[in-house]
Amino acid sequence: MVDQVHKEFRRRDLLYSGALWLLSLIIPDPQLHYRREYRFRKRDLFYLLTILLLPLIWSDPHFHHIMVLGGIHGILALGLTLFLGYAGQISLGQAAFFGIGAYTTAVLTTRYGLPSFLAFWASALTAFLFAYLIGRPILKLKGYFLALATLGFGEIFLVMVRESPRLTGGVIGIFDIPFFSFAGFIFDTYLKQYYLIWGVLMGLVLFSKNLIRSKMGRAFLAVAASEDGASAVGIDVSRIKLGVFVIGAAFAGLAGSLFASVMSTANPETFSLNLSVLIVMMVILGGMGNLYGPIAGAIFLTYLIDELSRYQEYSLPIYGVILILLLIFFPDGIGTRLRIRLIYLISYWGRKRRREKVEL
Amino acid sequence: MFLSVEEIVKHYDGVMALNRISLQVRKGTVKGLMGPNGAGKSTLFHLISGMERPDSGKIFFKKRDITGLQTYEISRLGVGRTFQTLQIFGNMTVVENVLTGMHSRIRGGFLSSGLYLPQIKKSEEIAIKEAKEILELLGLFGRWKWFASQLSYGEQRRLEIARGLAAKPDLLLLDEPAAGLTYPEAKQLAQTLSRLKEAGLTLFLIEHHMGMVMEIADEVAVLNNGELLAEGPPDMVKKDPGVIEAYAPRR
Amino acid sequence: MDIIQILPQLLSTGITFGAIYALVGLGFVTIARASQIINFAQGEFVMLGGMITFFLLNKIHLPYPLAALFAILIVVIIGFLLHLLVIYPLRKASLPILLMATLGASLFLSSASALLFGTLPKALPPFSARAPFEIGNISVSPQSLWVLVAAFLTLFSLYLLSHRTLLGKAMEASSTDPLGADLTGISRNLMIFLAFGVSAGIGSVAGIFITPIFYVSYHSGILIGLKGFIAAVLGGWGKHNGAILGGFALGVLESLSVAFIPSGYKDAIAFIVLLLILYIRPKGILGSPFIDSRRW
Repeated sequence: MVDQVHKEFRRRDLLYSGALWLLSLIIPDPQLHYRREYRFRKRDLFYLLTILLLPLIWSDPHFHHIMVLGGIHGILALGLTLFLGYAGQISLGQAAFFGIGAYTTAVLTTRYGLPSFLAFWASALTAFLFAYLIGRPILKLKGYFLALATLGFGEIFLVMVRESPRLTGGVIGIFDIPFFSFAGFIFDTYLKQYYLIWGVLMGLVLFSKNLIRSKMGRAFLAVAASEDGASAVGIDVSRIKLGVFVIGAAFAGLAGSLFASVMSTANPETFSLNLSVLIVMMVILGGMGNLYGPIAGAIFLTYLIDELSRYQEYSLPIYGVILILLLIFFPDGIGTRLRIRLIYLISYWGRKRRREKVEL
Repeated sequence: MFLSVEEIVKHYDGVMALNRISLQVRKGTVKGLMGPNGAGKSTLFHLISGMERPDSGKIFFKKRDITGLQTYEISRLGVGRTFQTLQIFGNMTVVENVLTGMHSRIRGGFLSSGLYLPQIKKSEEIAIKEAKEILELLGLFGRWKWFASQLSYGEQRRLEIARGLAAKPDLLLLDEPAAGLTYPEAKQLAQTLSRLKEAGLTLFLIEHHMGMVMEIADEVAVLNNGELLAEGPPDMVKKDPGVIEAYAPRR
Repeated sequence: MDIIQILPQLLSTGITFGAIYALVGLGFVTIARASQIINFAQGEFVMLGGMITFFLLNKIHLPYPLAALFAILIVVIIGFLLHLLVIYPLRKASLPILLMATLGASLFLSSASALLFGTLPKALPPFSARAPFEIGNISVSPQSLWVLVAAFLTLFSLYLLSHRTLLGKAMEASSTDPLGADLTGISRNLMIFLAFGVSAGIGSVAGIFITPIFYVSYHSGILIGLKGFIAAVLGGWGKHNGAILGGFALGVLESLSVAFIPSGYKDAIAFIVLLLILYIRPKGILGSPFIDSRRW
């Protein structure tokens, strides 16, 4: 896009492109998949350093707490972006897999005294198995019907949780889940939890990145673009869909496990439809078809909800309005739209100055 | 017989799309399939590639019964195809489209791809090299980093053929490859196709451009209203009274 | 208690609930027939219909019929606004975005109504004499009959609208072939706009008729809406009589289930039915004119 706008090179273009380069480090690249071949870029280094150093520079515990939540949401969004952003399928049931992960950890650690490290993996496995079982019949659906079927699964999950109090504590939920610990090291402060969650998230980002640049990533995009075309080149469409659904669910299960061991509680209110909507919003606002965007979207929306909670009973209506406005003004993601506007504006200023010179 | 269609019947809500069609394609030849609109040509391709099921009849490929197999299974057995309405992957670059065509030839599952094991890396590198060769063959090399949706219509058609070739099929079904192409583009396409034939690929193509079919096809079959009108070498079919009647009916 | 004994009573409750789901389902179908959009805020229209009538009746002290009329009017205006402010700006957006936008609208409407009307559940007085009458050993409340009448009247008028008037044909055309409708000079946006109004009207009517039977609170909209949608899918997505049939089937199934499983699971029944119908026969009982089109 940039080279189409700048027809000839001027000295001030150096300034513009410098500014754009700086901004491009911060704003998620809408066409990240354009560079799927490369492995580790400056951008990745920048993100990595920011994540590692930010909590040390900004040592406000509340900020750490927001980032812990944001990281958990980021894992959820990352799982969904593979399904929604790359494979083009919609799911409103992510909250249920999140809940399955959380309850698995909660039950295993409080009732059976399993170490949280093992419960962590068990959660992913449980979410994986549930997704495998329901994915088979559900994933032949498309569009609204798929959305509705996954939503239905989420509601059934909630009813099950509420109605089996002996296992899940019913509407009250489970309390006093032990903090995550590994080899005697307990993650009991926000800062420690921050590094735990963002560490897990980085691992999952690496996994997803590899997936995306391999043949599987191309198969996801092919399924999203044309199922007929995909099957004609030998892609087993239903297997790919099931695979990506199951991976997303396993990510959600991990996130749920981390959530349970960080917040020490699990109750059904958390895993309602609103959370599923929130996760889809993160992916949409982050931009479909890129990996970092949804994580940025997760941090942004987590921060937004935290800010809004100050307004108490007004927070939900304001939240609804903000969601709709964001959708109307940034339907293809905040980063994408901002970047397009920036490029346009910069080129517009350039042209305007040039024009003024001619007139003088 | 390489590909053999036997007594295929297909109805759509009472409309007879194909009525007891039998035809064969020999290895290493180019077979043309012609007929007016609605004759059932695309339906036949859909049946061969497994996108639809025949009501009765059998299809054999390399002496194997492929009736009722899934599309991707048939594709993996070596039947590639292109579509009349383009089905390219506009959300990927040109080279990635071709790499997607190699899907079943590149190694790796979900887990090994996610961990990017060394063998995956190696197999990807080989695949990219091969993809560029295929793009060179179809004259798309200069566009390899473009998004497929940015290509012109003719280039998209060629890209679809490139993608079909990437799977190294033994038989390639081409559904109107020259539709919507300009004259020079169609001419170039005919050259490419005959080069593929020389390389030993079996082609089965639906085409309206009489000239092109006559030029490259070894054998032609003509369908009309779900019936097989004529089959044989192009010169013979051209003179068949039934074919003339179907294409230029007397008032 | 013997199941056989309570069966007729359960059936009659089921039919009442079925009529409610049918009405809500009709609202979904109306919009779907004009635009292939699924409006997840449909349930909120129902909730608002009941809430606003309650407010006009008890706080402003309007007479009952007038309060109901004004409530319908207000909800129809809300429906129009929903289209103008949310759906119209997103007319070119992709499916997930439209879906999220209607869910966001639903969230806004329910939380705003909690703010305006309070969080306590509300009930309206029944339309006619309170005493339920007995048929055999089943007691039927008169309000249930009112709901039935409302469902069938709505079905009848919708049928007339879509099959006997040019407007209905135009709406249908703009759904099945948007481009073709544009080319023949039908204003697609106007059709969707009208459909939102009509469907909001149906929703509010449903709300007014059911609030005397069960309590409506600010968060009950989404569940009623989803069940109405499930009813419409069950009967045959996009068909008016399908929505009615699906509604009754769902209502009866739900209320019969109480006899066999703990009542806490009642809300899960609808979704289990949904998953089953989508798996076995996505076209629904009566078949669907839309199910083969591209968007599903």
